[in-house]
Amino acid sequence: MTGTVVPRMSRGVRFHRDPDGSAMLLVPEGIVRLNDSAAATLELVDGRRTLTAIVDALCVRYAVPREDASRDVDDLIERLSRRGYVDR
Amino acid sequence: MNAPRPTSLLCELTYRCNLQCPYCYNPLDLESYRDELPTETWLRVVAEAAAMGILHVGLSGGEPTLRRDLPEIVAAASRAGLYTNLITQGTFLDDARLDTLLAAGLEHVQISVQAPTEALADQIAGTRVHANKERAIERVMRRNVALTLNCVLHRGNHDAIADVIAFAERHGIAKLELANVQFYGWAYRNRAALLPTREQIERALVVVAAARARLAGRMQIAYVLPDYFGDRPKACMNGWGQAFLTVTPDGRVLPCPAAAAIRTLHFERVQDRPLAGIWESSESFVTYRGTAWMPEPCRSCDRREIDWGGCRCQAFLLTGDAGATDPVCGLSPEHERVIAALGVDGGEPLIPRRMKQPV
Ligand SMILES: C[S@@+](CC[C@H](N)C(=O)[O-])C[C@H]1O[C@@H](n2cnc3c(N)ncnc32)[C@H](O)[C@@H]1O
Ligand code: SF4
Ligand code: SF4
Repeated sequence: MTGTVVPRMSRGVRFHRDPDGSAMLLVPEGIVRLNDSAAATLELVDGRRTLTAIVDALCVRYAVPREDASRDVDDLIERLSRRGYVDR
Repeated sequence: MNAPRPTSLLCELTYRCNLQCPYCYNPLDLESYRDELPTETWLRVVAEAAAMGILHVGLSGGEPTLRRDLPEIVAAASRAGLYTNLITQGTFLDDARLDTLLAAGLEHVQISVQAPTEALADQIAGTRVHANKERAIERVMRRNVALTLNCVLHRGNHDAIADVIAFAERHGIAKLELANVQFYGWAYRNRAALLPTREQIERALVVVAAARARLAGRMQIAYVLPDYFGDRPKACMNGWGQAFLTVTPDGRVLPCPAAAAIRTLHFERVQDRPLAGIWESSESFVTYRGTAWMPEPCRSCDRREIDWGGCRCQAFLLTGDAGATDPVCGLSPEHERVIAALGVDGGEPLIPRRMKQPV
């Protein structure tokens, strides 16, 4: 994926974070629980940030190597877009 | 035992419906649900659900758009932060109704069709509705609202699956649910005539695989193997009393939309007790929650917290004991009953869904 892609939540998909900190996607068929790293990424998917911007933000926030962050983000967006939860 | 946090509520607002689908999973004794909850009770149910941590609400039935207060209920759910999904057959979804619902905060619409062509669809529905549904689909699409198209598959339409996909494609549908008929309520009654053949399923799998490849990135196609043809049950409702509640038109609270068929359980009503209390400690939720109730082979099985022993309603319908291993499981001592059903060639006439219970 190229870094200029701007991912966004698909129609009918909503990111939700609970008061207890746990995160999930609310989707037509129910609820998809998210692990911490998926949640941190999806919180940045706002329909404005590019993939590059998302990776940048994660690197700063979690002090992870750029390569790892980039691979994880690509991976996640790819999987979620295959399931129809994210458009890119 | 502590109750887990529920996530999803299905509000069956009414069992009234202008269609007569013989595959409907609604209960046979529809008349006993005529005393419908008033608006304020539904508003309270929705508010209580949100307070319990529930995040997702399905509005279904029967035909939920027959309730005039539907927009009010949607608005209440939406204000409480709940995700709202309208599950409808679409025949009443005109411009005004749709706009009112969207203004109330509706997030997703699911419309069902009986078949891809008017003649077959109207025949299955028992009345002329297909053209109307098609217009409803177009209306939702024009408004750029998230839409799932649902088609229940059975012997009478299974071979039209490629045309269902083409129909969805023509309408620009992004999510298609090819739902193999599940045998509860009217569908159980009509099982012999509805069961697809093994050949139909094998052909469908090929069609679906090809369509998924061709439409990747444009259309999600759900096609789940029907229970009777698998060897292990699905995790029905993610486990009894683990995540889901259903409230029926007259206020009964069920762990599964099909559960009212289980005559050995008593279901409490939202008129009598707050939803949270029913969820946590009513007999019907507690009896099959978790794993302590399980008989062998489930009790010592690796999958006991994956599929939770399968479906209680199916166990009851097929064996008379809601606490049995789901007979769909190849390890069940009663698995023969499923195999026997598959052997029956259903020449029987379909009984259309009517308010009056068939004899
Ligand atoms: C009972 S209907 C109520 C909503 C509305 N009347 C409709 O049919 O769309 C809820 C959903 O379940 C589907 N459905 C009905 N009977 C079914 C069955 N026996 N197995 C699987 N899905 C079924 C319908 O197509 C619909 O999408
Ligand atoms: S499945 Fe058919 S008969 Fe049953 S409620 Fe929906 S439209 Fe009505
Ligand atoms: S024995 Fe019970 S737990 Fe094991 S697979 Fe079968 S139904 Fe599931």
